[in-house]
Amino acid sequence: MDIKHYNQTPKRDATFITPPNIIKGKVGSGGLSEQVLKRAQKLLETHTSDFSPLADIYLSRMLEGIEKAENTNEEDVLEDLITAILLPCVQLKANGAMFHYQLVTRIADRFVQFMEVVECLDEETIEIAKAYHSTIKIVVAGKIKGDGGKQGDALVEELNRACMRYFEKHKTLKV
Amino acid sequence: MTYSFQTTKVLLVEDNAPMLELLKGILQSFGIGTIITAMDGEEGFLKFCQNNPDLVITDWMMTPCDGIALSHKIRNEKKSPNQYVPIILMTGFSEKRRVFSARDAGITEFLVKPFNTRDLYKRLHQIIERPRQFVRCEEFFGPDRRRKTTKDHDGLQRRQDDSGNTDEQNEDHTAEAQNNDGPLTDIDFL
Repeated sequence: MDIKHYNQTPKRDATFITPPNIIKGKVGSGGLSEQVLKRAQKLLETHTSDFSPLADIYLSRMLEGIEKAENTNEEDVLEDLITAILLPCVQLKANGAMFHYQLVTRIADRFVQFMEVVECLDEETIEIAKAYHSTIKIVVAGKIKGDGGKQGDALVEELNRACMRYFEKHKTLKV
Repeated sequence: MTYSFQTTKVLLVEDNAPMLELLKGILQSFGIGTIITAMDGEEGFLKFCQNNPDLVITDWMMTPCDGIALSHKIRNEKKSPNQYVPIILMTGFSEKRRVFSARDAGITEFLVKPFNTRDLYKRLHQIIERPRQFVRCEEFFGPDRRRKTTKDHDGLQRRQDDSGNTDEQNEDHTAEAQNNDGPLTDIDFL
């Protein structure tokens, strides 16, 4: 007998339901035409909504989070402090490229990945957070749209290196 | 013949006004007949109850009531007019643990921001052409979370009826898993 394990977790009594496919009944079949998809994509690529006011809100919240982490007290919970810095940056990552600021998305994405794995908010973590914050602020203020070309690559690379130096120092991190 | 969204009602919940307008424009260009908008989960649920839309597209991070809380309400509250409505959750998060928590809240599809119109269309297509069964058990109600189940699964079969009805499902899911290799995104997270 091929027994893989002896785990006898009780089986869950699950009911499967197949709901009526209302939306299918309404839209029919055949998908959307290439022409419609291209028109929608063009709308996305050419809209002129200004990202700066939105970015400023998220940057301010991110800075508030950083300042709170700098002046932490015993009652503060690490997870909450990290979240206060992380969430505005997730918004910058999510919205940047939707408003033609692909470089903001790229930088913010790296920082989100960094913040998802850090296990403390020491001086060095905060320094890195400040570096990311300032860089995104400069990109938005300079209205650097698109991926930023070679300068954009250099910026991302420099921030990457700072993170790698950090991880080199904090080798016990479960990255 | 192509899809006609003329009679389709979509509830769009997003707290970021420029983004809300942008998404509305994209849905209009898809030909969606009625687009109802709300700026947070609380207002979203109210409009959901009033309008009973065919599809909900919601952002995750909103205050005071976010997209996960909205999904919980739609799936579990008595006054919800359609607990089975497809829900697309948009978010900047793509880390597995975050995605799994959204999945456990009863989300149908997950759309990582930033996205392009083809990404959004893929989710719509998925919902229309490959609707998911719902599962009700003691601790969960929502779309079947086992989308990526494969035939060579060698772990525990934890559901009472696993031995009886999984052949067809497995075949279906395996095909889908094969089509969705690559980084963790929306349709391949489940």
